[in-house]
Formats: sequence, C-alpha cells, structure tokens
Amino acid sequence: MTTPRVATPGARTLATGRSLGLLVCTRCRATVRAIGGQQSLCPRCEAPLSVRRPHSLSTTAALVITAAVLYIPANLLPVMRTHEILSDEDDTILSGVISLAHQGSWPIALLVFFASIVVPLLKLVALGDILFAVWRGRVRNPRQRSRLFRLVEFVGRWSMLDVFALSLLASLVQIQSLAIVQVRPGVFAFAAVVVLTMLAAQSFDERLLWDAATHG
Amino acid sequence: MTTSRVSSVIVCHACDLAHRLDSLAGDARVRCVRCRAELYRTNDRSPDTAIALAVTALALLILANVYPLVAMTVNGSTQMTTLIGASQAYYEQGYWVLALLVAFTTVIVPLIQVLTLLYVLVPLRFGRVVRGQSLLFRMLNALRPWGLTEVFMLGAVVALVKLSAQAEVSPQVSLAAYGLLMMSIAALSSATPSEQYWRWVKAQREAGSPA
Repeated sequence: MTTPRVATPGARTLATGRSLGLLVCTRCRATVRAIGGQQSLCPRCEAPLSVRRPHSLSTTAALVITAAVLYIPANLLPVMRTHEILSDEDDTILSGVISLAHQGSWPIALLVFFASIVVPLLKLVALGDILFAVWRGRVRNPRQRSRLFRLVEFVGRWSMLDVFALSLLASLVQIQSLAIVQVRPGVFAFAAVVVLTMLAAQSFDERLLWDAATHG
Repeated sequence: MTTSRVSSVIVCHACDLAHRLDSLAGDARVRCVRCRAELYRTNDRSPDTAIALAVTALALLILANVYPLVAMTVNGSTQMTTLIGASQAYYEQGYWVLALLVAFTTVIVPLIQVLTLLYVLVPLRFGRVVRGQSLLFRMLNALRPWGLTEVFMLGAVVALVKLSAQAEVSPQVSLAAYGLLMMSIAALSSATPSEQYWRWVKAQREAGSPA
C-alpha cells in the first residue's frame, strides 16, 4: 500500500478516506479498504459499509422537521393535571418551571428550564442550521459547526428529565381523598420531540459538514 | 466486493481525514488533528475490571428493582412507588408508548448492556470468542445513547423537590441503589471502549489459533 500524506495541523492539502479509497465502519470505526462493487460488510464487525451513511441528509431533515412541528404542541399543551379537593389545575412544561421558581427552588427551576425548553430549541435551531448549510453545499466554518453538533448530541438526552419527573409524580400522587396527578397529552408531544431530535443527531453523518466545507 | 482492514492508516469517522498510524500516539486517547473527534480509546487492561463492574451493576439493578424508590407522606397516609411503578403510571393512564420509553431507557437498556457484556466478556476472559459477538457488539453500540440512568436520577430529584412543597417525601433504598448503578454503568462504559473490546477479541484469536 502506498503511504498517504501524513495528516498534520500545518499541512495544506490533506488526504481523506475518500481520496484514498478507504472507508470507515460507522459501527466499529475500523478503517477498511474496499475495492469495487456496491454492498459489503465490515471485515471486523460485519456491519454494512458505505462511503457516507445512506440518505443521511434527508433522514435527518425529516426528523428535525417533524420534531420542530411537535415542539409547538409540546410547549402549548398541558403535560399534567392536578386534581385536588376544590380545584383542578393544568400545567404545561413552562408553568411547571414557573411553579418551581415560585416555590423558591431556583436552581432546580433553572435546570428544568434549560433541559426542557432551551435544549430542545437549541437542538432544533442548531440542526436546522447545520442541515441548511450542508444542503447549500457551502459550510464556511466546519470546525465550529461540528463542535455545535457534538454539543447538541451530548446535551440532547437531558431533555428527558421532565418525562421521568412526571412519571414519578403520576405514580406517587394518587391519593384519592387529597390529590391525583393525571398525565395530559402534551407530554406525548414533548417526549416525541426529545426522541426525534436524538434520532436526528444519530442519523446525521458529520462527514457531510467537511465534504461541503469551503476550506478546511 | 472485497474488503480488507487497513492497519497503517486511520480515517476519522467524523471528518474523513486520513491519519498515518505511526504519526499518532500509541495508546490512551487519540483525537483527530482536524476535527478533534475521538478516533479511539484503549486502556490496555484485561476484561476483569469490566466484568467486575458489570457484576456490580447487575446486583445494583436487582436491588433497584426490588426495593421501593420514593415514599411520600401527606396527612398521615403514605404512598410508595418503585422503579417499575414509574413507567406503570404512564401505562395505567393510557400512555403505553411512554411507559415503554421510560422502562426501556431506565431499566431495559442497562439490563441488556450488562447481560450482553457479561455474556461476551466472561468467555473472552477464559479464551473463547462467543458466537454472534459481532452482532451483539453492534447492538451494544446502538443502545449506548438510549441508556438514560443519569437523566432519570436528576428527574427523580426534580420530582422530589416539586413534591416537598406539599408533602413529606423520602428517598428509599432503590434510589440509592439506582444512583450507584448510574455510576457503575458510567465506569463500565469507560472500561469498555469499543477499540479495546476489539483488541481483546484479536488477542484471543491470535492466542487461540496456531501460529
């Protein structure tokens, strides 16, 4: 095998897997030389190999768009209803945060605000921005965008916080004579946003950012 | 189509940059020079640490499922819930998809991870590569983002704080066990980086086949 140019930070033109005819297994990350043909399996972990994840851009876009649509009911619809002796009260994600703040639990209120409202919005905006830049074929700052993508991938899971908190509230507060917590459909939309954006981040092939880089 | 593994070059999975292997530091944690993605991580330990952690996690997972999770007392009446009770609450109110999601991310994924690792690593420790290990390994990788033990822990804290305004709440044995489970799962995933796993398999195959 010919020795490729060494990748060093100072080098001007860099050898890529594509230019050398090498593939990376998306599952086990083995570097593989593949000659001819269409479909093949990774010699190490037997996963199907491809130059880029098939349909990555359209799959990710479809998931992001669906999540963006569901973000609206996720925030507007109530996620829970508290039946008490004299009153019924509906709570949305945001009103849950506000009542935590009223209660004086500022750090927890802030935490839930970030996990449930800021993070999903950040994910949608960041993924939308990345997808749009790749689709246009001009990514001016692939390094920043890949950093943003990894941040989104890393924090995304924390949005499930409210889904778990609500599951505990609904299973504990079931005292017929005092109070009952009922789950409302908003939480369904909310959980869908979290799961769909997680799937979107997983289906995106980061290499597309670098393929479309105007320099790099 | 013929494929063969390349041993002198590593291509970055995140930006496609090719690195000559002899230009990279040999062990620990190696990052891509262009996009800083982790190319691979190894620890050069035997599978023993991972096996011990998996056994610990399994024991904690059993404890976390047997004992009550949280108790709440209002006006003298006490209500308890368990780990499974949390997802059951969704099921009973008609949200079975959410019940499944909660059970999957908090109990089922950690259980599958731990059992699969034990199933693969224990024979590996004694010099055998189990059947179907490639498939199991790929499944483990796919499941990794869906184990949400640490998020559930924080969710429990949020629920406890919310309830503490109106009731007396107290964490029970299961919550402590679950907290420890969270830590042992984190230690387990850092003890079994995928590259290390393949090194164990390779070492075993080389030792097994006559040279």
